[in-house]
Amino acid sequence: MSGDDEERELEALLELSRRGRAKLERLHEVLTSPGHYGTGATPSAVVYRENKLRLLRLLDEHGQPRKGPPVLFVPAPVSRYFIVDLLPGRSFAGHVAAAGFDVFVIDFGTPTSEDRYADLTYYVDGLVRRSVRIVSELTGQPAINVVGYCLGGTLSLLYAALYPDTVARLVLLTTMVDGDVQGGIAWVAHRMGLAGESYDTPRLVPAAEVKSWFEMLAPGSNSLVGRVTDLWDRLDDPAARLRDVRTMATWVDDVVPAPGRLLAELYKKFGPGRNGLMTGRVQIGDRMVELAAVRMPVLSVSAEKDLIAPPEGVDAITKVVPHAEVLRLPGGHVGIVAGRAAASLWQRTVEFLATSREGAHGT
Amino acid sequence: MTLTADGKTAKDPTLVERWLEDQREWQRTAMSYLDSMVKNEDFLVHLGNAMRGSLLAGKPYPTADPAAQPAAQEAPADDRLDRVLFALHQIQGQLTDLRMALDDLRRNGKGSPSKMPATRPKAKATKRPKRPAPVAARKARPGKSRSRG
Repeated sequence: MSGDDEERELEALLELSRRGRAKLERLHEVLTSPGHYGTGATPSAVVYRENKLRLLRLLDEHGQPRKGPPVLFVPAPVSRYFIVDLLPGRSFAGHVAAAGFDVFVIDFGTPTSEDRYADLTYYVDGLVRRSVRIVSELTGQPAINVVGYCLGGTLSLLYAALYPDTVARLVLLTTMVDGDVQGGIAWVAHRMGLAGESYDTPRLVPAAEVKSWFEMLAPGSNSLVGRVTDLWDRLDDPAARLRDVRTMATWVDDVVPAPGRLLAELYKKFGPGRNGLMTGRVQIGDRMVELAAVRMPVLSVSAEKDLIAPPEGVDAITKVVPHAEVLRLPGGHVGIVAGRAAASLWQRTVEFLATSREGAHGT
Repeated sequence: MTLTADGKTAKDPTLVERWLEDQREWQRTAMSYLDSMVKNEDFLVHLGNAMRGSLLAGKPYPTADPAAQPAAQEAPADDRLDRVLFALHQIQGQLTDLRMALDDLRRNGKGSPSKMPATRPKAKATKRPKRPAPVAARKARPGKSRSRG
């Protein structure tokens, strides 16, 4: 090897060292700088608390509640609420608020040991019902708009069937109705032992176990080597971009434990082979829920590449709520709500919510 | 040779000098990490997450603790305390139902729902009757509680 070759090799090593160091410096900067890590992006006030639940009311730039028709966001209770209010400029709830609505968001919080006894009745006829009631009381509106995401959509649909007069318009985002459609989180959970969950002696299903179900849907995401390699590659991105990535990672990786009784009941009633929602009648506690009672305008949105709630299972809502408007958007389960292309969903939702109730079904 | 801002020429560092400077930079980077570990309690958690390939902030990456797994798979043997705690949560909800039902009754005597206050003044709570009639609460809609407990 000539002297020039040696020098070139050393130059290359020096460059490799410099790039590696730059990545580590960027990682340090990201890990030590503040950001929207689980806190939501829009200023808000807590207007109601119950158990772990917080009901948030979004505020305007002067710290005041907005004036406009009320909208309640109901996220899934098995993940963190702030996916609907992720980042400034990438906040679904913030977009709806800026369009002239008085927006409220439910944060179900993180269940602890005693919450393993929480069932559908507790969520639908307890937490969601009282949240709607509080919103109604604060805004003086007897009927409010409800936007449910994923399992939060299931809770919203059941609530709307129980108390149709209190819901003006209902938006369901990636909400599975047909549990027999294969694929998705319900089938993965089914294969990984959800059928073994006990309603009578429930456990608090650990977050790591819930996360493992989601990871099964995205091959590679449960590989340590794959994740580390992916992060290392990303460290070339600007720090500001990495902070956004960190916010999303905080949502994706911070799955909360799940009440075993709720999961057992969901499985028993809506899971593969049971499929209670498709019958149009579901027993919740001592109440019979008739989906035929859902008379308010309904918009159901599915995502073409949804691995968690397959679009066919979502769009099936027209079989039990025939007047529901179905919209299928390009993208995945999270992308259509908080991704870079989410603006189309936000805008369609605002248009739907802003439409006059005149001519609506049964209203 | 490199031309400097004042028009003079400066000698380019040799490869050895650049290696030495690179080593000093690595030391500075390492010191910044050590400094953050000492000054910021959460930094180790964040760093641990990053070493798992995650930028999750605020808490450790969720992993099944092999030692704790058998216990987590089963419901605790003595669950009486949890049952009591959860019953208390349900009662908390029912008390809210009751309060809202009473507020409704008061409002119905005063005006239409559109004139409801934008916020719920806490002072009103102190004016509540000490023994509200539960029957009245059950008649309210949709505050009527169906929760068990």
